[in-house]
Amino acid sequence: MATLASPAVSEAFAADQLPDFGTDSYKDAYSRINAIVIEGEQEAHDNYISIGTLLPDQAEELAKLARMELKHMKGFTACANNLGVTADMPFAKEFFAPLHGNFQKALAEGKVTTCLLIQAILIEAFAISAYHIYIPVADPFARKITEGVVKDEYTHLNYGQEWLKANLDTCREELEQANRDNLPLVRKMLEQVAGDAAVLHMDQEDLMADFLTSYQEALMEVGLTSREIAKMAAAALVG
Amino acid sequence: MFGLIGHSTSFEEARAKARTLGFEEFADGDLDVWCSAPPQLVERLQVTSATGKTIDGAYIDSCFVPEMLSRFKTARRKVLSAMELAQKNGIDITALGGFTSIIFENFNLLKEQQIRSTTLDWERFTTGNTHTAWVICRQVETNAPRLGIDLAQARVAVVGATGDIGSAVCRWLSQRTGVKELLLVARQPQPLLDLQQELGGGRILSLEEALPEADVVVWVASLPQTLSIDAENLKSPCLMIDGGYPKNLDSKANGEGIHVLKGGIVEFFSDITWQMMEMAEMDNPKRQMFACFAEAILLEFEGIHTNFSWGRNNITLEKMDLIGAASQRHGFHTLGLALPADPVPADRTQPALTSA
Repeated sequence: MATLASPAVSEAFAADQLPDFGTDSYKDAYSRINAIVIEGEQEAHDNYISIGTLLPDQAEELAKLARMELKHMKGFTACANNLGVTADMPFAKEFFAPLHGNFQKALAEGKVTTCLLIQAILIEAFAISAYHIYIPVADPFARKITEGVVKDEYTHLNYGQEWLKANLDTCREELEQANRDNLPLVRKMLEQVAGDAAVLHMDQEDLMADFLTSYQEALMEVGLTSREIAKMAAAALVG
Repeated sequence: MFGLIGHSTSFEEARAKARTLGFEEFADGDLDVWCSAPPQLVERLQVTSATGKTIDGAYIDSCFVPEMLSRFKTARRKVLSAMELAQKNGIDITALGGFTSIIFENFNLLKEQQIRSTTLDWERFTTGNTHTAWVICRQVETNAPRLGIDLAQARVAVVGATGDIGSAVCRWLSQRTGVKELLLVARQPQPLLDLQQELGGGRILSLEEALPEADVVVWVASLPQTLSIDAENLKSPCLMIDGGYPKNLDSKANGEGIHVLKGGIVEFFSDITWQMMEMAEMDNPKRQMFACFAEAILLEFEGIHTNFSWGRNNITLEKMDLIGAASQRHGFHTLGLALPADPVPADRTQPALTSA
């Protein structure tokens, strides 16, 4: 059909090819992306343990989720070793600082809803979509590890969904506020690593779109309507 | 449950629609925002057949707009994500409307069955092309005589003859309608030769050669922006069925004796309350819709939960018979020409239509 130009197709297929994992530029970008993943898994571990202090009757299950995150962290550390890359941890700590700060503040105020939205919905939805986009362009070693991890992350997303769903009547307002405060941070984080992600052949628009899809799905499960969700998602996209 | 995957006809229209539906934040977003926006299940609806059977359906907007056509990855993601959303909502049979099926076909998305954690189940989707082809053929058969064109003596040009819909239309017109001669127009020579052999006839011509000879022209290819049609070189009368997408033939061909009819459009016998169609390019949006959408509705009415129209050149006359009979049984009519000689309808909601 005349309207579907072929150059666009060949260009896209070129972008789908695997990157050269041995180049300095790949390793340099990987040192930051990998560090973010390691730091993310470490913080996820710490966050689930912390949430357990707010929900003592569920502390055991949360500790189980936390242990899975530590396992993931080890897996991703092995990925860096496999490529001979040293993860840039100071960069990753700074990268997570705003979100980390918001989580700690909510924790101190005993705000379970906000803590769960940040960790079990936002971060998990982001991780899931990023891992899905990474898998087709990952090196064979990292690919296998990431495929295992992504299955676990759905369990974590599910945990947050279930709790928020059961408590939606009382937590709706806080959920919306937490979304307003934190979703724009996720977009900024994504923009911050877009260049490095591109070196790994991960497209920024794909990352954002897949994240929003996962996030939308999660909120749908929680019981929000598509209009409510669109309003919430727009906080990341517009402005 | 049936599903429809649709999209707006332009970015501007999409923004206006978002505003109407209460998605103000999206309405304000630029094209990049829309590229990242996930598909939305915007509406649930019920349809009751002329037989009395009632079914449930859902309309999914893929948040695709034609301005994204040059962005291959975006277009691909929009289509696959909308299909994923349909499947996750448990919709049994979903029609791929507008550019959705064109993108699916041209970008060969059959090999993209895995999207995130979902394996797309092709059985749940239909291009709707069988019903579209049947409707276009019926539009030729019922409207040509109204213009004084005797199909047994007529030459019918099919532009886009080798496509999925085009080849089905050729098959039907040669074997069922019995037109005098088919004029086969398409870009690629080899598929044209194959089609000619399959049909056991038909003359292969260029567009410029075919148009002056044709009493009826069936367009089932998108029209290049640059295309211009010289009305002087056309026969009078000439029936033109605009079966492509988007439908813009009336801006290219007009003049004395030239009758352009929107092809592949059906009208339901009663009003359907759906907001999404309010802004679609239909004259009577409560009743009119693309035949491809109607195919999903028909398959749901009939309990045929399978990818009825799928792949290329799989449309048989038997399948067209089946969907055509269902179309009539459940209360769809094919859109007909509104000719000046027609009696003025007493009720504005009942425009001049030809029963299929």
